[in-house]
Amino acid sequence: MNAMERSPPSSPPTQPAHSSHSVVLQVLLSLGVLGVAALLAYGATQIPSEAGYAGIGPNFLPWAVAAALLVCGGLLLRQALTGGFQDLDQASGAPRADWHAWAWVSAGVLANAALIEYIGFVLSCALCFTLAVRGLRLAEGKPGGGWMGLLRDAAIGLLLAAPVYWLFAQLLAVNLPSLTATGWI
Amino acid sequence: MEIFEQLMGGFATAATPVNLMWAFLGTALGTAIGVLPGLGPAVTVAMLLPITAQVEPTASLIFFVGIYLGAMYGGSTTSILLNTPGETGTMVTAMEGFKMAKSGRAGAALATSAIGSFVGGSIAIVLLTLFAPAVADWAVQLGPPEYFTLMLLAFVTVSTVLGKSALRGLTALFLGLALGLVGMDQITGQVRYTGGVLEFMDGIEVVLVAVGLFAVAEAIYNAMYEGRNVSTMNRLTRVRMNRSEWKRSWPAWLRGAGMGFPFGTIPAGGTEIPTFLSYATERKLVAPQHRAEFGSTGAIEGVAGPEAANNAAATGTLVPLLALGIPTSVTTAVLLTALQNYGLNPGPQLFQTSEALVWALIASLYIGNVMLLLLNLPLIRLWVKLLLVPKPMLYAGIMVFATVGVYGMRQSAFDLFLMFAVGMLGVLMRRFDFPIAPVIVGLILGPLAEAQLRNALSIGEGNWSVFIERPLSLGLLLIVLLVLITPRWLAWRRRA
Repeated sequence: MNAMERSPPSSPPTQPAHSSHSVVLQVLLSLGVLGVAALLAYGATQIPSEAGYAGIGPNFLPWAVAAALLVCGGLLLRQALTGGFQDLDQASGAPRADWHAWAWVSAGVLANAALIEYIGFVLSCALCFTLAVRGLRLAEGKPGGGWMGLLRDAAIGLLLAAPVYWLFAQLLAVNLPSLTATGWI
Repeated sequence: MEIFEQLMGGFATAATPVNLMWAFLGTALGTAIGVLPGLGPAVTVAMLLPITAQVEPTASLIFFVGIYLGAMYGGSTTSILLNTPGETGTMVTAMEGFKMAKSGRAGAALATSAIGSFVGGSIAIVLLTLFAPAVADWAVQLGPPEYFTLMLLAFVTVSTVLGKSALRGLTALFLGLALGLVGMDQITGQVRYTGGVLEFMDGIEVVLVAVGLFAVAEAIYNAMYEGRNVSTMNRLTRVRMNRSEWKRSWPAWLRGAGMGFPFGTIPAGGTEIPTFLSYATERKLVAPQHRAEFGSTGAIEGVAGPEAANNAAATGTLVPLLALGIPTSVTTAVLLTALQNYGLNPGPQLFQTSEALVWALIASLYIGNVMLLLLNLPLIRLWVKLLLVPKPMLYAGIMVFATVGVYGMRQSAFDLFLMFAVGMLGVLMRRFDFPIAPVIVGLILGPLAEAQLRNALSIGEGNWSVFIERPLSLGLLLIVLLVLITPRWLAWRRRA
């Protein structure tokens, strides 16, 4: 190559493709809709069709919705296979998911669900808050904060969960689980 | 003048200290919710539905409606200062309002938005007072076939009119209908789709789906995709308008209110259409010397009109809810659930059977509107401070409230697990541009529509022609077809 020739300017670093445009995911999604339609149809076969005066029984709408979802799923699949979903607004945010952050937030929500009836609303929600905050902060790229950070988040969680509990359980008589029988924690 | 007497009676109830307190709490909370990202009036009301077990109906409805209206006011603040619309109805405000804020006129934008919302809301409330009872009286003629076709129209408009893809909207609707099928059939008692799981016998709780799809999904989506988004806030200037800004604003307010209210009352999917229409109108009608401001430094008419339209439309959606029992947006659908929790059946008979409640609610709208003007003009700095809460704390805090809402309804930890699953579904839907509103409307309205369908067929003795034989029902069916076909036909013509 002639040394006088300029080499082409380097292209900008390529962004990973936006996951909403991924054909694989769109096909999976469409298959999911078809799967739901199949489940509905299977369930509908188990529902008797006693019609009474109405002319249609309790199995009419299940069949109708199953058929409608079958059509929708089919059309979605066709769109996915022939160039992707039409008129797709690119979803906001990063092209790829931050699974680390997701893991923390999900852990918070699931731990809350698992423990709330054993350790009561206040402690369970404080735990949920602590784990979720850590995940969301990780998503922003900010440091986790180590042990002090964890303690601080837990304290804030308690400061939030306790008054909320007192407000709803004591004042508004909403039935929320408690750790002790005093009704305050 | 019977209306006037009923309204005065409503004021007597709405102005009691307890109800005033609830109105204030609702409007204040609504404003806060509108300002904060991540929560909307629908999911907030859904999370607070457990209070219906204890608080009496008038008070809680005043509270919920206060939240609804407050969110309309609060949403404009975020649109103007942060360019992230707090509510979908304030998307248009984000266009011109944000531009005004960037050119240093945030205060004027906020002022015109608050006063415009007040004007729009007030006009709409007066129209509601005059029209709702009349509609309820007329609606006595409606039978199950008409109700079914009205609900069908609501389904179709909420799925296809907004958003880019009718296919995805309809898929979401059918998913919502499918969720509504789980549990015991109302008419025959037949158990459907429980799969032997005991917790499904009572159906899937509305609060669970609403909170899961909106709040939980929002938090998880943020963690997965939006962590690196940085939003910059515009500087807040003094909230007032000068004389020329007033002169330009007030005709826009009146036009906006005039457009907003009718759209709110019909099943047209909520507040987006009238706000965009108002924006387009203001753009056409603006005086030539100010035309250049649109899209560059921000024209005040582009904020004034849409804000009035958006509040008028939101108030307008209460007309079909109270007079016909038909919700036309997600928030009104959740309000319907609140009414059902009290065993009150919304519909034309609501004006007869619960006259005191309905008029107290309407009177409280007037009161709430005034409260909102006071909360939003001088106190705006307070709300703006809320925006300083770091996002991680905000979304994690929302999880705590979500737990209250979902667990508080049925005291079931299983519901919390299901809420997580629904949340993941919401993330998927958001990622692939499936609208969420149709799921909620399908879930809430689906069982009601099914009941009306079967009643209609009973009347017609099993003949489907009953829908075509009755003129009103036929007319509504034709409108449904029009709504489905017109956009497709227009696009086809454009391509040809």
